[in-house]
Amino acid sequence: MPQPLVLPPELTIYGVGDLRRGWLEWLAALPPAAADAGPLRVDASAVAEVDGAGLQLLQALAHSAARERRGFIIDEPSGVLAAACQALGLDALLAGAAPTGAAA
Amino acid sequence: MKGHEHDQSFIAEALPVFICEAQEQIERLEQLLLGLEDAPDDRELLDALFRCAHTVKGSAGMFGLDRVVAFTHHVETLLDRLREGLLALTPEVSTLLLQCNDEIRTLVAAAQAPGDEDDRALQARAALVLRLQAACGEVAPAVSAAASPAAPAAAPDDASEWQIAVRFGGDTFRNGMDPLAILNYLGGLGTLTHVVCDLAAVPALEDMDPEHCHLGFEFGLVTALGRDAIESAFSFVRDDCTLQLVAPAVAGGAAIAECVATPPPGAVPRDDAATSPRAAEAVPKAQHKQRDGGGADDHRYIRVQADRLDAVINLLGELVIASAGASLLARQSRQGTLIEANQQIGSLVEEIRNGTLQLRMVPIGETFARFRRVVRDTAAELGKDVAFDIVGGETELDKSMVERIADPLMHLVRNALDHGLEKAEERVAAGKPAQGRLTLTACHESGSIVLRIVDDGRGIQRDKVLARAWERGLVERGTTPPEAEILKLIFEPGFSTADKVTNLSGRGVGMDVVRRNIEALRGTVAIASEPGQGSRIEIRLPLTLAIIDGFLVGVGPSKFIFPLDTVVEVIENRPTATRLDTRGRSVVELRGRVLPVVSLRTLYALDSPAPERSSVVVIQSGAQRCGVMVDHLLGQHQTVIKPLGRMFASLRGISGSSILGNGEVALIFDVPALAELASASPSAQPCTVGEPS
Repeated sequence: MPQPLVLPPELTIYGVGDLRRGWLEWLAALPPAAADAGPLRVDASAVAEVDGAGLQLLQALAHSAARERRGFIIDEPSGVLAAACQALGLDALLAGAAPTGAAA
Repeated sequence: MKGHEHDQSFIAEALPVFICEAQEQIERLEQLLLGLEDAPDDRELLDALFRCAHTVKGSAGMFGLDRVVAFTHHVETLLDRLREGLLALTPEVSTLLLQCNDEIRTLVAAAQAPGDEDDRALQARAALVLRLQAACGEVAPAVSAAASPAAPAAAPDDASEWQIAVRFGGDTFRNGMDPLAILNYLGGLGTLTHVVCDLAAVPALEDMDPEHCHLGFEFGLVTALGRDAIESAFSFVRDDCTLQLVAPAVAGGAAIAECVATPPPGAVPRDDAATSPRAAEAVPKAQHKQRDGGGADDHRYIRVQADRLDAVINLLGELVIASAGASLLARQSRQGTLIEANQQIGSLVEEIRNGTLQLRMVPIGETFARFRRVVRDTAAELGKDVAFDIVGGETELDKSMVERIADPLMHLVRNALDHGLEKAEERVAAGKPAQGRLTLTACHESGSIVLRIVDDGRGIQRDKVLARAWERGLVERGTTPPEAEILKLIFEPGFSTADKVTNLSGRGVGMDVVRRNIEALRGTVAIASEPGQGSRIEIRLPLTLAIIDGFLVGVGPSKFIFPLDTVVEVIENRPTATRLDTRGRSVVELRGRVLPVVSLRTLYALDSPAPERSSVVVIQSGAQRCGVMVDHLLGQHQTVIKPLGRMFASLRGISGSSILGNGEVALIFDVPALAELASASPSAQPCTVGEPS
């Protein structure tokens, strides 16, 4: 079971460049997808600030996961993230989200 | 936001540019409004009008000019009603909008010197806002009747669902905008429903530039607000996004593509975007280009400060003089190669001169266009119906000349409206069409620009003019000067034809000031009038104030310059022996016709003895030709015009001076005045009336 990707508190345009690099490294470091490989997990509990660019980056990550034929689950999305996803019609990102039940 | 001080300094730097551009937009707004009065159904004009107002509001918002934004917002609302066909452009609405435009202009001007405004200004603006709201409000009951089928009636009070599709431009994030904030803002205007993000347009992490915006959305918005309010949410990204709004009445899945806000080519191209992220990226750009091409306000101009240009022209004047001096020295040295080199420099200087002077030429149409408003308002104030025409607005004139001719022109236009054109009933009684006609024309004519103000009003009443002239002592009581001289009297100081000084043309500025201003520009003004048929005032101005091509002549040791374009031909080397009258005038025969000539030697009492043979320079002024007797013809000369000192102000026939290459001074002729001196009949004593001797 790979380590979940921990999202920073600030998921905004000011950080997307660095975040993308970091996330790509994280993706590259993952063990090659096997049949039994579980979904990619993202810990979003810390996200306190998010904007359109941050959400777009998250969506791109979801696309990359899909390309790897991996599931993609955002664990414990913070309230801020959940509200933002809903506002931009990105509810699907949270579809697999666990416990907090923010996924409607 | 980082760098708050940086922003402040940016704003301080950019504010003058904003004000300058906003003023242009406001000017354009006015012209569009006036144009719309003539063609109330012109959709393009209406759209351009809306865009103008929106641009002013948008950029004012960027500079934090809240007063401008708040006020313009109300104007925009009204324009939006017009655009949706909910309201017709009546003369009252048009007047209101013009007044609002004036208010915007005042507000923008006030942005230069921010401070608290006084209560009166606030109240005046509040009153305008109330009138704007009233104009919008009146519509509500009439909606169903007035609405055209193309523009669905959005009953403003009922919340209904708009369908919105938006694709943000690639630079949205970099420009500091955030779609999330915009959607949240929209959420505040009503209720967002079915927000769908175009997921396929977002590339995978590996392929993406994270600062490039790939977002596009479709959603419904349940709100009671109109198109204007919804669009305003996008005002800061408007140039870089594709926005489609479908009004509630026609909202339906299929209708989205047909909606009005922006043309379909930019419509969210889902399939393309799915296969190639580049396609999605290209779309907003293409859209952007299209807007640019479509808008008439895409100019390829560089702004240059006028005083920089003036400095160049001053230097150029010095260069011309220096170059003339150098070529004179070269000729004296009799070295062929040096002379040749100097000639080449001379011709280059001439080209630079022409090119540089061209930089200052602007079409006079902009100045003319300003008069539309003056005519409109003045005519309304006087209760007259006037059609105003502009002919030859593209004619170019030196910028400084344009600025300085505007006031005299304004005065003449007001005069024509006030005194010349009659009221409708008077006109009908006189057998003329009820609508008066006032025409401003401009054209180039033999090196000058000619401006004409023509009206078909009552004309100038000669007996009234004469009576007034007698009364004011401008003409000896009981004597009647020739017809043409009577009309000229209205340009005399101390003459005012108006029985009462009206608010309009009697502002203490008489026609004599108009004439003085025009003469200060080395121009002339002439008037023709037919009683009952109207008047025509003709202003003739030189094209530039700075440098002209001259024709240098000598009389004894004195040098004179004719503006080259007034010289028709020369009769060289003819016997001097011609009988002259006391003022140096005579006639010679030129190809079977009589040509009046004047001898400069006699006219200006030059001491040198007359040579045996001399030449006659034939000059043309208007339709008139005459000859000037001179000793030597010295050829073409680039002439930098210097004003004459006050001591020489009364000198007839001379308009300025110039310094020659060898440091000598040459006097430049005022050709119309000279022609008048040459051809006036000896018995008449024109223009001595009222002039200081």
